[in-house]
Amino acid sequence: MSKSEKKIVLKSLDNEAFEVEKAVALQSQTIWVMCEDKCVGNEIPLENVTGQILAKVIDYCKKHAVVDGDGDESSEELKNWDTEFTKNMDQSTLFNMILAANYLNIKSLLNLTCQAVADKTKTIDEFHTFLNIENNFTPEEEAQICQENLWAFDD
Amino acid sequence: MNRGGEILDSFPIDLFLEIFSRLPSKSIARFRCVSNQWRSMLHRPYLTELYLTRSWARPRLLFALRRGKDLSFFSSPQNLHKSKDAGPVVFNPRTRQYASLPKLETHGSVERISMLGFDPIDKQFKVLTVSADPDLDCNDRHRILTLETGEMCWRKIQCPLWHYSWPGEGICINGVLYYLAKGDTSDLIVCFDVRSEKYKFIEVEKWFYYATLINYKGKLGGFRQKYDGDGNTLELHMWFLEDVEKQDWSKNVYALPANELVDWTCVSVVGVTAAGEFVLSMDHIYKFRPFYIFYFGPEKNSLQQVEIRGFEKYYGEVYYQSRHRVLAYVNYVEDLSFNDAKYLKPSQCLNIIRKAALLHL
Repeated sequence: MSKSEKKIVLKSLDNEAFEVEKAVALQSQTIWVMCEDKCVGNEIPLENVTGQILAKVIDYCKKHAVVDGDGDESSEELKNWDTEFTKNMDQSTLFNMILAANYLNIKSLLNLTCQAVADKTKTIDEFHTFLNIENNFTPEEEAQICQENLWAFDD
Repeated sequence: MNRGGEILDSFPIDLFLEIFSRLPSKSIARFRCVSNQWRSMLHRPYLTELYLTRSWARPRLLFALRRGKDLSFFSSPQNLHKSKDAGPVVFNPRTRQYASLPKLETHGSVERISMLGFDPIDKQFKVLTVSADPDLDCNDRHRILTLETGEMCWRKIQCPLWHYSWPGEGICINGVLYYLAKGDTSDLIVCFDVRSEKYKFIEVEKWFYYATLINYKGKLGGFRQKYDGDGNTLELHMWFLEDVEKQDWSKNVYALPANELVDWTCVSVVGVTAAGEFVLSMDHIYKFRPFYIFYFGPEKNSLQQVEIRGFEKYYGEVYYQSRHRVLAYVNYVEDLSFNDAKYLKPSQCLNIIRKAALLHL
């Protein structure tokens, strides 16, 4: 395989181009299928991911790729790296990462980001404000629903 | 950058459910009170299944401390609740909801043994009760009740073989409730199919009657414990049923070495993990002594002890006060559909005394 075949270019929604090792990009099942189908050249357009998010996804894939002579990272180290990776992301970035991981079909990244959102969801109010949810219950409905779930508020 | 509200519109529901399946069941109940859209989303059967699958992947220990009629439940040391119950109840320790069962006419003061069985096909719980009175007529001894919405009532059930049972614990594995009983001529394991409500019987040797029944990787198993004189070493005699139809038993004996942490006579086998490790729990909590759970790996002959903290408040305050008996359950998993069971009522009337509770949403 020539050197150029080992590299691949990923193009984001906002036309940012990232040149990466094929082994890194192929962790995405979606990219893998695209490459298998040979329906694309060396440049793969990713219509659902912005450059800002794609850069983070590539960071993750680089860390998790088993590249020649570079696959001896211990699982403990990887775990710590994962924790650091999501620690400082805000909710909005995390949700976009989930969407990207889902679209690109990278199972481990999807697990990591879903868990991170769950861990950061400390209160309903936080989630509520973030998602801008409107309470559309009638007072009667609200009373009944609270009654049904009373045990969850009994602290 | 997207605002949250915009994300919500384009965010696929199954991805939301991926996130919610990782939250405590309590949070899910709270989020249901947020809006109609969330309420219907969080009642989807897909979430219930996903949640159960995740819960199975990280089963926990459940402890119940019993002193007289007081029961305190711990699924983790942070969550504790104490209830004084008045009569026969089915209790969900996670939600503290309960169903009180209709009273059965009793003959004198003879005890009835009640056991909870689960039919995994119709996803129904049933309570089977057998009178411990050996003199009672065969047709009058067995009653069954389905836990359901609406009025619950006991139904008579025909049992083809006369037997009576000691107050012990039945165990339900894959829709069959097993319990130990004495028949006319021999000792038995009664196999009651929860769905069809039909009985089968397995004759067992005399010693088995005092065994602890356990779920051994989905098969019925039994343990008996033998000690040397001073409680230093423990012999575990373990049987499990390879095939119910052929009544094909496998037997093994394991010797646990002396351990400075524990007197083996104060420890009981409480179950087996999915990995095949035997779980042993101390029977009581003692003042000034830590409480331990032991994991014994039969293949490698390994013994690992884990200290459980959080029971400190339950030491008897006065020296003559009776001790709390610890009932430990392995492979405790959470199923959202049981938290939602309509036949369970909130338990204010059970006189809940909450000593401490941590909000850990």
